[in-house]
Amino acid sequence: MRRSLNSRWYFLFVFPLFFIFTTVVLVPFCLGIGYSFVTWDGLPLNPKTITGINNYISLINDERFLSSAIHTLKFTLLTIITINILALIFALFVTGNINTRVRNAARTMLFMPYLIGGLILGYIWKFILGDAFKSIGETTGLTSVFFNWLLDPDFAVLAMVVVTTWQMAGYVMIIYITGIQTIPEEVIEAAEVDGAGFWIKLFKIKFPLIMQSFTVCLFLTMSNCFKIFDVNLSLTGGGPYNSSEMFALNIYNEIFSLNNYGYGQAKALFFFIAVACFTLAQVVFTKKREVEMQ
Amino acid sequence: MKLGKLFITGLVAAQLLVGCSAASDTGNATSESSGGDVAKKIVVFQSKVEIIDQLEAAAKSYQDETAVEVEVHGTSGDDYFQRLKSELANNQGPTIFSLSPGAEITQLSNYLADLSDLSFAGDIADGMATEVDGKIVGVPYTVEGFGIVYNKNLIDPSAITDYDSFVKMLKDFKDSNLYGFGLSQESYFLIGHILNHPFAVMSDMEGYMEKLAKGEVKMAETPEFQEFAKFYEAIRDNSYNPLEVNYDKECGDFATGKTASIHQGNWSYSMFADYDVDFEMGLMPFPISGNDKLAVSVPTVWSINNQVSESEIKAGKDFLTWLYTSETGKRYVTEEFGFIPVVKGMESTSLDPLSAEVSRYAAEGKTLPWATNLYPAGVVDVHLVPVAQKFFTTDMTAEAFLLELDEAWAVATAS
Amino acid sequence: MKEQVSLAPNKRPRSAGNHRSRKRRPRRTLKRRIKRFKRRFKAKFASITSGGPVASIKKGVTYTILLTVCVLYLFPIYIVFTNSFKNRSELYESIVSLPGSFSLEYYITAMEKMVFLSALKNSLFVTLGSIVFIVALSSMTAWMLVRRTGKLSDSIFMIFVATMLIPFQTLMMPLMQEMGWIKNALRLPMTDTIGGLIYMYIGFGASLAVFLYHGFIKSIPKSLEEAAAIDGCTTFGIFWRIVFPILKPTTMTVIILDVIWIWNDYLLPSLTLTSKINRTIPLSTASFFGQFTIQWNLAMAGLTLTIIPVIIFYLCAQKYIIKGVAAGAVK
Repeated sequence: MRRSLNSRWYFLFVFPLFFIFTTVVLVPFCLGIGYSFVTWDGLPLNPKTITGINNYISLINDERFLSSAIHTLKFTLLTIITINILALIFALFVTGNINTRVRNAARTMLFMPYLIGGLILGYIWKFILGDAFKSIGETTGLTSVFFNWLLDPDFAVLAMVVVTTWQMAGYVMIIYITGIQTIPEEVIEAAEVDGAGFWIKLFKIKFPLIMQSFTVCLFLTMSNCFKIFDVNLSLTGGGPYNSSEMFALNIYNEIFSLNNYGYGQAKALFFFIAVACFTLAQVVFTKKREVEMQ
Repeated sequence: MKLGKLFITGLVAAQLLVGCSAASDTGNATSESSGGDVAKKIVVFQSKVEIIDQLEAAAKSYQDETAVEVEVHGTSGDDYFQRLKSELANNQGPTIFSLSPGAEITQLSNYLADLSDLSFAGDIADGMATEVDGKIVGVPYTVEGFGIVYNKNLIDPSAITDYDSFVKMLKDFKDSNLYGFGLSQESYFLIGHILNHPFAVMSDMEGYMEKLAKGEVKMAETPEFQEFAKFYEAIRDNSYNPLEVNYDKECGDFATGKTASIHQGNWSYSMFADYDVDFEMGLMPFPISGNDKLAVSVPTVWSINNQVSESEIKAGKDFLTWLYTSETGKRYVTEEFGFIPVVKGMESTSLDPLSAEVSRYAAEGKTLPWATNLYPAGVVDVHLVPVAQKFFTTDMTAEAFLLELDEAWAVATAS
Repeated sequence: MKEQVSLAPNKRPRSAGNHRSRKRRPRRTLKRRIKRFKRRFKAKFASITSGGPVASIKKGVTYTILLTVCVLYLFPIYIVFTNSFKNRSELYESIVSLPGSFSLEYYITAMEKMVFLSALKNSLFVTLGSIVFIVALSSMTAWMLVRRTGKLSDSIFMIFVATMLIPFQTLMMPLMQEMGWIKNALRLPMTDTIGGLIYMYIGFGASLAVFLYHGFIKSIPKSLEEAAAIDGCTTFGIFWRIVFPILKPTTMTVIILDVIWIWNDYLLPSLTLTSKINRTIPLSTASFFGQFTIQWNLAMAGLTLTIIPVIIFYLCAQKYIIKGVAAGAVK
């Protein structure tokens, strides 16, 4: 009796969302998997040919796709580190002992970049990394740092890292703030009574207690970086000569520019599996370090 | 727990079933007919954001005259085709939509209604209507032409007729700290349009492109392309790096006299509206192989969706007919949209200087076709731009450039 | 370490304490507030008296860093704002300079072309509707998934999380196909309606919200819920009366993140909404973006008009991210 009541509640709580989620995300995803075995341009009236795993075979030989995978990995690793460090510093700063007005101003300001969408953002940074950097370089003579980053294959990826960090740090900061604010004050107070300094408090008390936020933030930044598209398209467009082309842009081009819908879906599935492996490994890794508060 | 798994598997299976039938279903369904002969409402979806306000005004006049509502949908120029495809794929397609001749028409040919019975179909200028299997499926918006947009104060077009005189011009300007000729970073302005010329000056352009697709000829071994590569090299060595300049800046530099000429078309005239341009500008041919013709063709055509009801197709045709034959409609096309007329019985009195040049070249028959319309889908953005970027950021030779172009073209045609 | 004073955790007696004291445990909070106030006073006093040359250098360095960060973060906003007043030729002259005049001309044109009020109404409706459902449904789901552990819960949670890795671009074609099918076969108006769009946002927003709630709920002790269950509360009652209020910090986070995402989203509405009367703000600015160039002044004015409501919202919302709600409520 009690058991069936329990499962009824379970159903009532979980089913509505899961149903919507299934129809909106899972079904299209499964359809997509189906299409990955077909050669087709995505239009219902045009011919579909079932080609089995051919799409997956050409995937392995697609150098451009594989190199976009390497760029994405490189980019993601770098960006996760920079975003999280910066976001954590921001979060510690705005939850610290500062003037309320400064705090509010800082929080809003740091969050601003996230409000400006892809295209405009790309344009503004194109200007900063192109024109502005060039003229700074010419006036200061530091031409090894200040030149048009977007014309250099390595620096173009770095430019993506900088812009993405700038855009995302304020976003991730919000989650860290939530985490930091759930640390019971008593714990901090107790530590202070015991004479713990700033660093001790940070590493021995705050960090272990916000491990859960780390899990969330690392996962979020990782999935967002792997999926990066807007900034890629508007800032570098994958250039110069494909050196900054990431997964999502490559797939997008395959589907929408080259009309290879089935092949694009095969790429997407491959991408999904690759990313899932990475992120799950990471989640398992950080989960172990979480402190359960009972 | 087994139950749980079963639940999920069942759900997924059910959804897959639903999905499969969805996929097979979508093709057949058509939107319900609203009864009567002519629908009371049609939807126009088109890609040229520049004419959206004017088109809406035209739609309103049409509604006042005929009581048929014309709803105009627009989108940003970048994602137009992608949106159109997704609308067509799930049966919400518009009545009338715009397409670029070439790859887009080929891809959507199953969706295009036969427009051969339009009353003005016979009046469309020769070769300007888009046909598939002998049927007219696209009515041209206008013609556009591209070549070298030049500053009449700085450049005498009669002095630039071939490679040597072009390079001399570049060097002269370089010596006086100006730029003779400029490109910009956008895919078509960087390589898409300018690559048209070596194709278009050939006597059998289409034949060559077919052979190229089959791999029977190579650009690297074709004289026209060898000359083109030399042009490209001269531009790299004697002008600014186009990768650092966008369309806005390219036009700004030209309008303020810093660049004597740019590779553009008559569409760029609107870019100069906010500047006090103190010189006259003209449009001249790109002098590859002594070429003296402008590349002129139809950038965009109107098409009608054959998946909508008969009455809606009819209403769509009526609207196009009104636009191209009634006094009010013609006034909108020529004066408000600023189009160069392509249908007999339409005349334009107020063309901007660049469009006037296009019109003049067209009247004299000095036009080249657009090979760009025959490029494989997506080749410019996805495959050609990276090669051009490499060319402009390294000291790649002209020969290596052509080899890479060949390779890119081969990849594009293979997929 | 002198720094420990300035970087000690946030003590905001006024906003934080007040809000909580109204709700529960007023006495304890009052005591703590007094304690906190005393300590803060001491800390301030200490920082003043201990200042020496080293401290002032440190302060200088801190301020320099702060200033740099400020410039870096505000510069793009400055660009957006100033360029909404320039025409093409002024923009070409200089992107950074101030505009010649601050006439509202482009704003008026932009608002007219965007049919701003109608777009604003639609955006508000879509955003509000989606958020309410996302918050309610996701928090309920996440709570169940945490509290009833088992393979089913774990699998459902993993599915939610895993799908966060799917790039939207690969889902959009099949999604539109499916919705078209639902429309034709089941006569449910999924496309070109605000309702249908909200439905899709719930689906796409579910993963992140469940993920955030899931993490947070795990850190809340069960004791309160168990006590309430013994007192005879229904599961529904326990959730809404006891658990949901504790989730407030996460709820605020979810709201903030989702509001910004939905408010600014272009791609999904561009696929589902075709009629003019349904356009949201981002859709209504689309005509400023041509294939090769952008009407910068109108686009920037449009962007400013788009983000101002979000900034106002954000300023209001962050007051409610209250420190220690969870910690204070339990125990």
